[in-house]
Amino acid sequence: MLILLCYSIDAQQKTVVLVVSKIDPIGIPRQKDWRLVTNPCLKNLFTVNNTSCKEVIFLSVRIGVPRGMYFYKFYPFTKRFLTELGAEVVPSPPTNKEILDLGSRYCIDDACLPVKVYHGHVEHLKDKVDYMLIPRLTSIVPKEYICPKFGGLPEMVKYSIEGLPKLIDVEINMYKSRKNLINALYRVGNMFTKNPYRIKRAADKATREQMIYDNGLLKGELPSKYIDETDMPRSKTSPLIGIATHPYLLYDNFINMNLLKKLSNKGIKFFLPEMLEKKIIEEKCKIFEKRMFWSSGKDLIGSALYMMENSKIDGVLMLTSFACGIDSLSIDLIQRLGRKKSSKPFMVITLDEHTGDANFNTRLEAFLDLIDRRKAN
Amino acid sequence: MRLTYPHMGEAYIAVKAMFDDLGIESIIPPFSTDSTLRLGAKESPEGICLPFKIMLGNYVKSIEEGADTIVITGSCGPCRFGYYGPLQKLILQDMGYDVDMIIIDPPKEGIAKFINNIRRLSGKTGFKTYKVFMDAYKICEKIDELNQVQYFVRPRTKDKAKVNSIIHNFKSQVLKLKGSREISNMIDKTKEELLSLNIDMDANPIKIGIIGEIYTIIDPFSNLNAEERLGNMGAEIHRSMTIRDWAENNLIKPLRREKPYEMEKRLSKPYLPALIGGHTQQCLGHAVNYALSGYDGLVQIYPMGCMPEIVSRSILPQIEKDYGIPILYLIVDEQTGEAGYQTRLEAFYDYVENRKRRLS
Ligand code: SF4
Ligand code: SF4
Repeated sequence: MLILLCYSIDAQQKTVVLVVSKIDPIGIPRQKDWRLVTNPCLKNLFTVNNTSCKEVIFLSVRIGVPRGMYFYKFYPFTKRFLTELGAEVVPSPPTNKEILDLGSRYCIDDACLPVKVYHGHVEHLKDKVDYMLIPRLTSIVPKEYICPKFGGLPEMVKYSIEGLPKLIDVEINMYKSRKNLINALYRVGNMFTKNPYRIKRAADKATREQMIYDNGLLKGELPSKYIDETDMPRSKTSPLIGIATHPYLLYDNFINMNLLKKLSNKGIKFFLPEMLEKKIIEEKCKIFEKRMFWSSGKDLIGSALYMMENSKIDGVLMLTSFACGIDSLSIDLIQRLGRKKSSKPFMVITLDEHTGDANFNTRLEAFLDLIDRRKAN
Repeated sequence: MRLTYPHMGEAYIAVKAMFDDLGIESIIPPFSTDSTLRLGAKESPEGICLPFKIMLGNYVKSIEEGADTIVITGSCGPCRFGYYGPLQKLILQDMGYDVDMIIIDPPKEGIAKFINNIRRLSGKTGFKTYKVFMDAYKICEKIDELNQVQYFVRPRTKDKAKVNSIIHNFKSQVLKLKGSREISNMIDKTKEELLSLNIDMDANPIKIGIIGEIYTIIDPFSNLNAEERLGNMGAEIHRSMTIRDWAENNLIKPLRREKPYEMEKRLSKPYLPALIGGHTQQCLGHAVNYALSGYDGLVQIYPMGCMPEIVSRSILPQIEKDYGIPILYLIVDEQTGEAGYQTRLEAFYDYVENRKRRLS
């Protein structure tokens, strides 16, 4: 079904231009003689005005995707899925000072840094798109949650930022079964087409795209290669340091003070959590008698323990956000469990919106010194 | 086996009744004080939520008095509380204390396991255990009633110091009693005492509902006695969650195959249509419920960094707007200063009081 959004009539030539879309966008590019149609009915238009149609302009909706939280985990899927359905996907730019400031301004004070950054991205993007994708990621692995803030993210944003475009706040909750994901995809797909095969095709293509991405990361590629088509030269020599953290800290170069680049420039190789197979993470987390029910905590603990035990890795660096509830517990568990077995250099750097470059560098240097000294012995 | 368990408001009274009736020796940790918190905070990860630190302090004090087994309830909700047990155990080990920890997960994680755990504790046949359990639940109901009386009387009597001393006296006297019957009688007696005070039945105090994170609203030490403070100023308060309410929804209803927290879920749905962990739905649901029941103001209390309550905190301003009910947001941690806290409560009380007078 096409929706007629607006039209303009050229009275002399008795022609009409129609602007149609498959979905109801909000910010249609207005031209001054375009008339908005509130109750679209093509037929009436023709009979009333008795003109012939000169041109039909298809307008795709612009769906904004804020570059925060699990952006770097799922963007390839999101982009492909929505593009296949006919939308134009607009990600927000990489975090910068302005976005971070917006985030601190609009988000409540005691939230963690990634949630604040996310608010900044939403505020930055809100006037540029027709819809905003803020999924409720309650659970992405059966019997596991991510973190309460992922579950409540759409509401946190909705009640903190005014003047938002329409939200696509579909819930993805695979706690009970993976089937829920399929339902969620159909719910989104239905906004564009009633044809289930088209939705399925889009989902299949998106899944393939995501697999390529995940495999790339597994081999040590960085997301920017796939998402922003820029790659970064990386060092191939030792030392090799493991960085255990969440994707929204690891790949947000503004928030982490360009950590990956700094390391590469110094000729240091790094090992990232995304380079580990899920199996290994599961295996490492078996050391708890109680099942770990947070995916984010599990990934963190699993990869950190792996890094501490693997003899090829010379040191483990953890990045955490100020006020992260999951990390406050996970990091303590890691230290108590892992450090008994390993005496590798280990450091935790806490990031918040006031972290300065100088401060960060001092910490990092201290860590690298530790590694150097260890290697020299 | 010398059992102990952490403090959480009046919970110790019901738990003591239960263990007494089952004939199990248990050690109640000394009431939480600043030194408890200091002790706990020293060994805990810095960013962890306040209840963790206080509980850890409780354990250490109990262990020093001879406890060797800790019993706590668990949960597999998406919140840190579910992982308190395992981490606390590691910390205690690192401190050199070798203790056993029995974590009772709620029935929804497996009824068989739940019953088994209870058996393991009681060593008694099912029926006796069930009866003891229900008696303890009755104690919880009675404590709720006692609290209702306390909340009603405090703003309506001039003798506020008396109310406080009756309640404090009750809380320490209970420790000397044995079994649910004696405790139950003591509760009745205390209620009588409160009601025999000079009560001004015509007074029309402002009504304040307390919402937020379950531990910090139930446990008076963790919230610096917010209830008593507000009551002393002259507000009639109501607390949205209690031990009874928790037990009813997490233990009784699942056993009877009833749905827990129905009102809370229904009323919070327009604001948060999903379960995200912790007690967000309860917090929001009660907020709406208080607003609809004519309360004059709300106080939200939660520990610094509490993940689910930060989500509630972002949503509550909308409820504040929609229902025109003022809300005070209080965050507590080990650094919370008493003076500032009191000032904020007083300012809020004055504001709500003025507003009520203006509106009527
Ligand atoms: S895992 Fe930590 S950093 Fe991530 S959203 Fe939750 S609290 Fe924030
Ligand atoms: S609800 Fe809040 S206080 Fe309770 S465990 Fe979770 S984060 Fe901690």
